[in-house]
This record gives sequence, C-alpha cells and structure tokens, in this order.
Amino acid sequence: MAIFVQALISGILIGGVYALIGIGLTIIFGVMRVINFAHGDLLMVGMYATYYLFTLAHVDPFVSIVITIPLMFLYGALLQKVFINRILGALPQNQILLTIGLGLIMSNAIMLAFTSDYKILTTKYSSSSFTILGISISLPLVISFAITCAITAALYWFLLKTDTGQAIRATAQDREAARLMGINVTRMSIIAFGLGAALAGTAGALISPTYYIFPQVGSTFTLKAFVITVLGGMGSIVGATLGGVLIGIAESVGGVYFGSGWKEVVVFVLFLLVLLFKPSGLFGKSNA
Amino acid sequence: MMILIFISVIMGSSWNILGGFTGQYSVGHAAYFGVGAYTTMVLLQFKQVAPWIGIWAGAGAALVTALVIGSICFRLRGPYFVLASIAVAEIFRVSALNLKNLTNGAEGVLVTEIPPLMIGETMVTDWVSKVPFYYTSLAFALLIILVTWLVRISKLGYLFLAIREDQDAAHSLGINLTAYKNTALSISAVFTSLAGSVYAVYVGFIDPSTVLALDLSVQIVMICIIGGIGTILGPVIGALVLVPLSEALRSNLITDALIKAGIVNEESPVGAFLKEHLAHAHVLIYGILVVVVILFMPEGVLGFIKKLGARKAKAA
Amino acid sequence: MAILEIRHVSKFFGGLAANSDVSFDVPEGTVVGLIGPNGAGKTTLFNCITGYYPPSKGEIVFNGRRMNGLKPDKVCKLGMVRTWQKVRPLTNLSVLDNVMVGALCRTNSVNEARGIALGQLRIVRLQNKTNLLAGTLPIGERKRLEVARVLATKPKLLLLDEVMGGLNPAESEEIIQLILDTRREGITQMVIEHDMKAIMRLSDRIVVLNSGEKLAEGSPKEIIENSAVIEAYLGAEQ
Repeated sequence: MAIFVQALISGILIGGVYALIGIGLTIIFGVMRVINFAHGDLLMVGMYATYYLFTLAHVDPFVSIVITIPLMFLYGALLQKVFINRILGALPQNQILLTIGLGLIMSNAIMLAFTSDYKILTTKYSSSSFTILGISISLPLVISFAITCAITAALYWFLLKTDTGQAIRATAQDREAARLMGINVTRMSIIAFGLGAALAGTAGALISPTYYIFPQVGSTFTLKAFVITVLGGMGSIVGATLGGVLIGIAESVGGVYFGSGWKEVVVFVLFLLVLLFKPSGLFGKSNA
Repeated sequence: MMILIFISVIMGSSWNILGGFTGQYSVGHAAYFGVGAYTTMVLLQFKQVAPWIGIWAGAGAALVTALVIGSICFRLRGPYFVLASIAVAEIFRVSALNLKNLTNGAEGVLVTEIPPLMIGETMVTDWVSKVPFYYTSLAFALLIILVTWLVRISKLGYLFLAIREDQDAAHSLGINLTAYKNTALSISAVFTSLAGSVYAVYVGFIDPSTVLALDLSVQIVMICIIGGIGTILGPVIGALVLVPLSEALRSNLITDALIKAGIVNEESPVGAFLKEHLAHAHVLIYGILVVVVILFMPEGVLGFIKKLGARKAKAA
Repeated sequence: MAILEIRHVSKFFGGLAANSDVSFDVPEGTVVGLIGPNGAGKTTLFNCITGYYPPSKGEIVFNGRRMNGLKPDKVCKLGMVRTWQKVRPLTNLSVLDNVMVGALCRTNSVNEARGIALGQLRIVRLQNKTNLLAGTLPIGERKRLEVARVLATKPKLLLLDEVMGGLNPAESEEIIQLILDTRREGITQMVIEHDMKAIMRLSDRIVVLNSGEKLAEGSPKEIIENSAVIEAYLGAEQ
C-alpha cells in the first residue's frame, strides 16, 4: 500500500511536468491544427540549454528557466515563421512528416555538436528527498511541480484575461471567424508555436536534474505528449493538464506493477485504447 | 550497395500500396520489417531453420500482425491513424527489448552460420559472398514492382484509390473499407517483412534499434515521398536517391570529394569537422531532405517532373 | 409495391430530433420528391436510409429487407445508392476512373467496368472528357459525373440529394432529362430538391418534411394546394 501511495505521489509530481508538455502541444494543435512531432525535441533543446547554462555559467537549473523561457519562445516563433507557416494548408500527413523532419534535424544536429554521450546534471539537491508520513518524496520533483503550478496558473491567466490570450483562444476555436474579426491569425500562430516551444523547453529544464540528457531523449516525450493531448482532448488545455497528471500516475504505478521496462508500453496501450474508444478525449472537440 | 537499393525498393514499394494507393500513411512500418527480421533470425540462429524457409514464417507472422494492427487502427482517420501506427511500432520495439528470452533484448541476434543452399547433391551457394543476396533481393524487388503494377491495373487498384480520394464516397459506392484497407496492409506487410528478413540475413546482425526503430519507419515513408507517392516507379527513384546519398555520407565520399576539389582544406576546422562528423550525419541529412521535399516537392521527383511537363504543355 | 418503406424513423443528435416519427412508402418505379425548408431533416433521412448512420428509432425496409444498421457498402450492393448534397468527386482520378469505381461494385472485371462506365458517361454526355481529372470539372459536370457514377452501380433505388443545387437553368434541364430517362429504365428515385418547378414536373408523389416531422404526403397537385405546406414555406421565408 505504501508503495502504491509512493508511486501515486511520484506520478502526480512528474505528471505536472508532463502537463506542461501536453499543454504546449495542445495549444499548437488548437491554433494551427498541426500535430507537432518535434515537440519532444524542443524539450530536448531546453534540456541542453539548461545543462550548458549550469555547467558553463553555474546557473541553477530551476533559476535558469527565466532565461530558457524567452529563448525557447523565440526559437519556436522562428520555426513557425520559417517552416510551419508554409504547410498550414498541406495534408495532415505531410505536416506530420515535416515536423518529424524538423525533429530529426534538431536531435541529430545536437548529436553532432555535443555527441550522444549521456550527460547528467547533478545539483546539490538532485538526490535529496524528504519524508512525510513514511513516504519518501524527491525534492527536485517537488520544486518542479511547484514551478509547474505557477507557470500553469500564469498561462491560464494569460489566456483568460489578456487580449492576446483571448485572441489565441478565438483563433483556436474558429480560425476563419477570428480572421474576419480582425485578428492577425498568422501572428497568433507564431505566438502559439512560441508558447508551445517555451513550455516544452521549460519542461526539459525542470526535469534536467533528474533525467539523463542525450540527443534522442525527445522521442519518448513526443509520444507521451501525444498520449496526453489525445487523452485530454486535442485542443483542450484543461484536458492536457489533467491528462498529464493521469499519464504521470499511470506510468509511475504501471512501472511498479509491471516493471520499469514496460512503463512505456503501459502508456502506449493506454493511448491506443483512448484512440479506439474515445478519440475526442476527455474534453476534446470532435474535429477529427 | 545495390543490395541495399533493392531492399529499399521493396520497402518503399510495399509501403506505397498502403500509403500511396490507399492513402493510409503508416509511420510504423518498421513493425513489419522487424517482425520479418526477428522471425527469420531467431529461427535461423536458435532453431537452425534455413532462412529460405524462415523468411516465409516471417511473412506469415507479419501477416497476422498486420491483420491485428489493421483491425485496431483502421477505424482511425488521417493523423490519428498515423499516431496509432507509430504507437504500435513502438510497442513492438519496446517489447523486443524486454522479451529477452525470445529476442535477446538489446543485445540483438547475431547469426554465426547460414546453412548452404542445396538442390539435390549440388551446392547452389554457401552465402559467403554477396552474390546470392544480390539476386535474392533483386528478385524480390522485381516481384514487388510487378505486384504493384498488377494491383494498380486490377479492381483492387481502383478501389484502393477511391478509398484514398474520399473514404465516405467510396463506402457509399459499395466498397467495404475495412476489408480493402486490410488487403492493402496485408500485401504491404508481407513484402516489408520479406525486405526485413533479407536485410537481416545479409547483414548478419539485428537489434531493436535498427529494425524496429521510428527512424526506419520514417525512412520507408521517405523513399516513397521523394520518388513520388502513389506512382509505380516512385519508390524506385526514391531508393536510387536515398541509398547512394546515405552510402556516400557514410563512407566519407563527399568529404573526400570536397577536399579533392579544393573547396575545403583538410587542415582547416571546417575540413576536420566534416571529416570526422559527416559520416555520422546521414540521419541529419535525412531530416533536412524530409523538410526540403515536403516544403518544395511534396509530390516527389515524379510529381515535380509531371508538373514541369504540364506547365510546358500549357505554354505550348 | 413499395420498394422502400420508412416506418416511424426518428434520428436524435443529443437532444435534437433531426427526424421525428417519419413514415412513408416509396412505390417501385416512381419518382418521389422530398421537400421541405432548410433544416427539415431531408439529408438526415437520406443518411439514415443509406446506412451512413443508423436511425435512433424506427425501421427502414428495402425490398422487404430490414436495413437498420447495415453499412453503406452493403446498402449499395443491395441496390440503393445516393448522391451527395456537396458533390464528392474522386478528384485525383480521371472522369472515367470515377465511374469505373461505381461499375466495379457489380463486376470484378476491369474491362467490363470500363465498358459500363463509358456507357454511363455517354448517357450523361461526358464521353469527351473521360481522361480529364475529376477535380478540373466545373460544378455542372461534376454533378453529372456523380450521377453517372452512381448509375454505374446498377441501383434499384437512387437517392438524389439536391443534385440541381448551384446549376443554371440549362444544366438543371439536363439533370431533369436524366431523371426522366432513369425513370424510363425502371429505376426508382427519391429526389431532394428546392427547385419547385422541377419537383412538380418530376414527381409522382411528394413528401414534405418540416422540422424533422412529416408534414404532408400526396400527389403534386395535392401538395401545392395544401395550406400547411404553403404556410411552412412562407413562414420559413419570413
């Protein structure tokens, strides 16, 4: 029982980070209807940026997100302007292939530049944990969960209360109508992709103290991000938030009961089940 | 290198039947490649089953796999089908890693000895040289091209294309979507698995990261897209472009050529970098190629040529 | 003899009743007009009949056989086929290939299908455009192509959904002639149309739907004098 609660808590904590990844992906899909296959690689870029900020400039990973967020935002905006914007009207299959290609470029460029050696970012508190009621909780996970909550809250505020945020939601709901109302939908797409990249990069920064860092780490996160967004409903931010936590729990608990090697399979099987029985997810629009 | 070209033709053409003709873009075809490869290799190395029997067992396994996957995934449309196909292939890869008793996990399967092929008392080949592999892969490549052509001109071809163009309209015209999609997938899976089996025995070693990887699935799709999706010769052109490019990168040909031509100095930092790293960059080049092709030539080389021809006809 | 019997068919989408307790028969060999204001549930009824989705309640009986829950491909093989309100050509296939797909419903031979297709294309007068891509045709010819395609499936009952929508008078006249010719072949037809003059000319019987319910049924003369029908249309226009 204690093991179960332990796994549950770890799952929730890591689920927060997963939620960030999912929210980023779902915003991109919501605004542009593009399924971004390079999302995990954006996370990987965030990880590497954090790693080098730490090793070269001694900036604590959690502090460095102040730098990573704007950097990744600009990077995402650039990607959108140069590449994604051109294929907004293309077949969805081609869009996926394009983002796959971009992801391959990112992961392999990083591999060429920094080798595929596994890098580890160890801070003073990387393996710290504290115990509450007999349950051991990892300190870095708690910190990242707290930061995740703060970022998510800020994001909700942005989307609900600011003009730009509402414009983005309008574009996601109905692109043509938004355009007719005078919203610059191209600019919204650029912002959306920037946001998505920033969220993915931040997630990467947050998990860098506890995960191995290597160029191919992106692909598992991409697939996980999809499971999360499909589970929550493509385009639903609330759905992605919940989906992230659910997947975190499923993975953690699944890992305990089936062995860590099968963790991913648990997630993929869940994915297929959702796709088959409720493809619009928990909160989704059935625009498929 | 020709052997790799032939194997790529097999992979690309068989994907084309499902993706190009029927419009179902599977980015998880590595699953069938890997099933074929692993079945053949495991039977060969651990049960001493000759590969010319083993590859058909692999094909059978791939067929069963295809029917299972099809029944799950064909209810999904467009990008959701793509995602499901990727998820399924990943399930296979991770399973191969974990089911160590069956597949040797991450260590892979290494074949130490291939029994000689005998007809009566005479030995046809002992599989030591590349020649038997050359002819085997050539034979299968020609076979898949023939099959593709036969499908295209038969009733199957028309119905596949109808499904690609407008599923619901096709449905209302009497086409059983699931049955025909499964047919396309079955043909596709069987030939992809044959490619996997031949590749496996040729190279002599397989592991999950080579024969069940997402990279491979993407490569298979690329072969078709570069050449021209939905055409009979498209995959052939795609293979003729991708394989030599890949080999040229791997073998430092390009770097050496650049140095010889005087464009790059061997001693300079650029030269040193290229010399050391370009060989490993072939996946990077794939990525760049994917992006370039999708942005500028989504219908592949053949489509591009057709467009040029149409434009000339208009001007004339 | 009724080739198609609609018995108490209702179709709900969530709380909305798109069709509500609709019943009528389609006598064999006739043309039945299905009219009603926009949103009356006409296309929904077609979708239920052809298996695009099952009715929520009620029965569809075709040639004495219960059709509820049969998929569209089965429905087509049994002899019932429909055209689409928004035309659905197979855009990247040639005109000939489009009709051959329909013909292949009835034969396994590509050559035979080609012959059937050419015949149908002659009937709709598209025989000079066989090699053009369907996507290049203007709307009037796309509609004729779709008619040729469904006729190639050798149906017993043909459902035409606003096949004259968006056509100019000359094109509409061509379609009207096609429908009359098809009737002469003995094929039963149900036609959804907004063009009242055409409906009056073509129909042996007319069924009027309004807000999902059957409002009236009768001969063209009866319908045109039916005050409830007049009110539904005039009321809707206001």
